[in-house]
Amino acid sequence: MSDLNLFGDDETTRGMRGLYAAPSGQAYWNELESRIMARVAEVELGWWTEFDRWLKPALFTAAALVIMAGVAMFRTGQSRNNADLEDLFAPTSVAGAPVEATARPTLQGPRDAALRFILSR
Amino acid sequence: MSDRNASSRAEERSLVIAAQAGNGEAFASLVRLHQRRAYAVCRAIVLTHEDAEDAVQDGFLHAYKALGRFLPDQPFGAWLFRIMANASLDLVRRRKVRDADELPETIAMPFRDPGEADELRTRLKQALAKLGERQRAVIVLHDIEGFTHGEIGSMLEIPEGTARSDLHHARAALRKLLQDFRPPTDDE
Repeated sequence: MSDLNLFGDDETTRGMRGLYAAPSGQAYWNELESRIMARVAEVELGWWTEFDRWLKPALFTAAALVIMAGVAMFRTGQSRNNADLEDLFAPTSVAGAPVEATARPTLQGPRDAALRFILSR
Repeated sequence: MSDRNASSRAEERSLVIAAQAGNGEAFASLVRLHQRRAYAVCRAIVLTHEDAEDAVQDGFLHAYKALGRFLPDQPFGAWLFRIMANASLDLVRRRKVRDADELPETIAMPFRDPGEADELRTRLKQALAKLGERQRAVIVLHDIEGFTHGEIGSMLEIPEGTARSDLHHARAALRKLLQDFRPPTDDE
């Protein structure tokens, strides 16, 4: 397997195998598995798991709401523009200038009383 | 033999699907199935047994979190070992930064085995520590763990040709580093 034949035999490869040998006892691997699963359980119990679970649906809902709001705003703006245009081009029903009703002033005070007296004669 | 492979692949696939559905026991079975090989991958990249243990745990944690994105028809082992390799490389980088801060002139040494008296082992450790992490990973994964160039390339996210040339350069570097060493004979 190895080309590291430095000393006329496979000494180096054997040395490396010794250095990199994995622990052999089954108890070690059981213990490592327990440690790994304990860390996994920590992740599972964290609040962020629940947060993570809801993150995607929440993002989809938010995106849908933004799109719906955008469409609604666009439609409102468009109908307002249409109304403005209709107002602008609609024919006016005026035959003349609008009549301003003015109230005849009632005569009051001593000067007005004199004037009323002269007019009554 | 191929029937056995196919059935173990099918069993692994069903475990993956169950784990994706939130079955913790199925994930534990996947851990049991792959932890030795995962350890070997990590150990090839990091310098110490303790770091390999940390990298294996980090790797399985990453795998658990990313399990939803894994397509069950793909080979789970290849996907997992790529995660393991990345976790190990991350750990090596973190250690490098820490070592650079703390001990700028020392070479990171593998963990000290109290019973170690073998000079070749010591020299090998030193020589391997001097190799780049990718070269070290390639030589250990190929020569010790028996992975193919293609598998190593996929794990380390490098082309197969690069894995091949890394192996060649790693062997040459090791030869050079150990050229003055002759293992002690029984007469000495």
